[in-house]
Amino acid sequence: MRSTLKYLTAALLATAWSASSLSAKTLVYCSEGSPENFTPAMNTTGTSLDAARPIYDKLVRFVPGTTQVEPSLSEKTDVSADGLTLTFHLRKGVKFHSGVNGFTPTRDMNADDVIWSFDRQANEKNPWHKVSGGSFDYYSDMSMPDLIDSITKTDDSTVVIKLKQPNAPILANLAMDFATIHSAEYADFLMKKGTPEQFDQIPVGTGPFSFVDYQKDAVIRFKANPNWFGGKPKVDDLVYAITPDASARYAKLKAGECQVMIAPNPADLAAMAKDDGVNLMQQAGLNIGYLALNAQKPPFDKPEVRKAIAQAIDRGAILKEVYQGAGQQAKNPIPPTMWSYDKDAADIPYDPAAAKAALDKAGVKDLQTDLWWMPVQRPYNPNAKRMAEMMQADLAKVGIQAKLVSYEWGEYRKRAQAGEHQMALLGWTGDNGDPDNFLAVLLGCGKDGKPNGQNIPKWCDAKFQEDVNKAVTLTDQAERSKLYVDAQKIVDAQVPWLNIAHSTVFEPISKKVSGYKVSPLGAHEFWNVDVAE
Amino acid sequence: MLRLLLNRIALTIPTFVALMFVTFVMLRLVPGDPVEARRGERGLSPEMHAKALHDLGLDQPVSAQFGNYVWGILHGNFGTSIVSKTPVTQEFFTLFPATVELTLCATLFAILVGIPAGVYAAVRRGKFFDQALMITALTGYSMPIFWWGLILILLMSNTLHLTPVSGRVDLIKYYYPQTTGFLLIDSILNGPKGAFLDVVRHLILPSIVLGTVPLGAFARMTRSAMLEVLDEDYIRTAKAKGLSAFRTINLHALRNALIPVVTSIGLQMGSLLAGAFLTETIFSWPGVGHWMVQSIGRRDYPVLQGGIMLVALVVMLLNVVLDMTSGLINPRLRHEK
Repeated sequence: MRSTLKYLTAALLATAWSASSLSAKTLVYCSEGSPENFTPAMNTTGTSLDAARPIYDKLVRFVPGTTQVEPSLSEKTDVSADGLTLTFHLRKGVKFHSGVNGFTPTRDMNADDVIWSFDRQANEKNPWHKVSGGSFDYYSDMSMPDLIDSITKTDDSTVVIKLKQPNAPILANLAMDFATIHSAEYADFLMKKGTPEQFDQIPVGTGPFSFVDYQKDAVIRFKANPNWFGGKPKVDDLVYAITPDASARYAKLKAGECQVMIAPNPADLAAMAKDDGVNLMQQAGLNIGYLALNAQKPPFDKPEVRKAIAQAIDRGAILKEVYQGAGQQAKNPIPPTMWSYDKDAADIPYDPAAAKAALDKAGVKDLQTDLWWMPVQRPYNPNAKRMAEMMQADLAKVGIQAKLVSYEWGEYRKRAQAGEHQMALLGWTGDNGDPDNFLAVLLGCGKDGKPNGQNIPKWCDAKFQEDVNKAVTLTDQAERSKLYVDAQKIVDAQVPWLNIAHSTVFEPISKKVSGYKVSPLGAHEFWNVDVAE
Repeated sequence: MLRLLLNRIALTIPTFVALMFVTFVMLRLVPGDPVEARRGERGLSPEMHAKALHDLGLDQPVSAQFGNYVWGILHGNFGTSIVSKTPVTQEFFTLFPATVELTLCATLFAILVGIPAGVYAAVRRGKFFDQALMITALTGYSMPIFWWGLILILLMSNTLHLTPVSGRVDLIKYYYPQTTGFLLIDSILNGPKGAFLDVVRHLILPSIVLGTVPLGAFARMTRSAMLEVLDEDYIRTAKAKGLSAFRTINLHALRNALIPVVTSIGLQMGSLLAGAFLTETIFSWPGVGHWMVQSIGRRDYPVLQGGIMLVALVVMLLNVVLDMTSGLINPRLRHEK
């Protein structure tokens, strides 16, 4: 009976799609893989977050192509003077998608949906917490349990979030995908139906597109939501053609089988730039690739030794060979597109002679060290092994013998976080565009003076910590900016890591596409995109 | 015949059990775990790590995990994917028809081209065609699949515009219910006009790419088997009796020469079912090869274990069927003690 119903539903959807697609405007996006599920709060991969994004809205969102936060389901947000109370005034008349999985909403989106969406993540006793595994990584990664004291409603259109301590990046956190707003009524509907697991597989949201169908490793289909609060999107149908191979994605783009593609092959970029049918969009990535120098292991505990190592490495050559020019040499620990970036900072020049002299002065002779390289390709480091080999050669010129070391990726990160290395390559891509997400997360220390888990250089500095701790509690961006500039100056002087590069993100799209914006956060959004017939 | 069947099934069971044990242990020996694998650069405290492993049942001793796994398999439960939280069998049977369809088409392509080419090369032994075919077959057999697939896409799809780049069907024009998962069948059952031809067009390039290696193997094997048979006395007798060359070769020689080729076809199909990963990746073909390889990176143990066991089961059953077919053709096999 259930399979018959499933078949009938599929047949109806297919018929509706076929009828509409005859005259519809369709945008095909060549994505790279299948999502884990359609609940962003349970996922951390860009593939899964991209797949769910068309369906949902958040209280606030990032302006496309930027890290600026703007209203979304909350049309107005008040922050109390002490920074401890956030009041969200919800947009009225926002409809959840109707007709998906047999669900017809009987009411508009309201405060209950907001509370439900966060309670599922925060409250282990919530009956939905364990459905589909109960892993809400981003909620804990962004320290939400430590920040949020309570979430309550004053009426159906007003939600109040009380914080345990003032936290300036909280609004940027709430613009992230894990903070999408789900339908509590749909949850009830599925619980009564006895199929709660469908909540994360057949999604219902308020977003610009509603879910139509998903075939694993093949395709995800969406339809424009005519009732979206932002108005109906410009394309009628949105199709994610799952295409794992980057060369095949480019071939599809050339053949007109898709109009937007993710993650081009670096080797194809030159051809794409010359391709008449392709608009190769690019933006500086919100990332940093670095070489961490373990400040708890001599002689890397001396800032002058760390600086000498930075002088010994030719980052210009690395940028040319490893990044193939698709990036810029980094002089600060945060990317230049981020507010509070210290433009006046002086970069450490490549100067092996000065490095050698500094090492001699510090009494470092015949140094033998390890140099860890990640076994995976990451946006901030396209080829860590080659980079490590180049660094090894540079270090040999100043008398440092570096032994290259690598581990399986999970093991690598675990050991690096435990501080087993002397020198280790790693990097970071920002989550929410806030400097705190780089400086405090990657170089911060706890109240006990011990480095945080993700502080790979294992470096702590009291003044730096004071600056970042204070900045996160302030609401005035200019004041915060001053503190972060000061913090960057400390990092630049102390060199806990060698800033290597900020890579560039490329997005090839068809010239028929208009309105597409490259997100510095790596998101792919299509509600404001049009495609010429 | 029944004894042969029982004999083959009896051999299959210990193979299955051994494979189950080896894959389980080997996967646990690989460094990393599913919790670490999904974290990327992000930190994870030892407490959070331990809790996540506990939630997945991965904190139990390996022997207990293996016991649970065997118990599950005995009850037809191959586990649930750690990543998608979907039963492994459900994912497998969603994706397997695509792999089977591609394997069958690739095998058909390899048979239709490889066997006649092998026969002709044997007949023209030592001549130009024979030499050229053997060089081509060797080239095909040693062709890097990834390169070959991309070259064909660039030529056939991007330059000549004869075939689609990838996928199983045009995603915009043809959207219809997939009741069997075999799109050739579904396009006839449920598809609008033109859907069947579109599915065939999508099958052309991946079938050629996947079929290239077995094609080389079939051609070489057919040639050598034919050369052996063509020297037999009964062929000389047939020729002396005045039978036409066509009848001599196709009815008398080929029939006997095909026995080892049929065995080879079965073995090749088995390896194609499990090894179509590269072709599936290049052509965005939603099959089990790509699914299993992806799960290695994610350390999705249930998918890997279940996928390997299910594919192995199919290949073993295929071999039993093949042995039975060989038994029908070759009486010596039927009566072997």
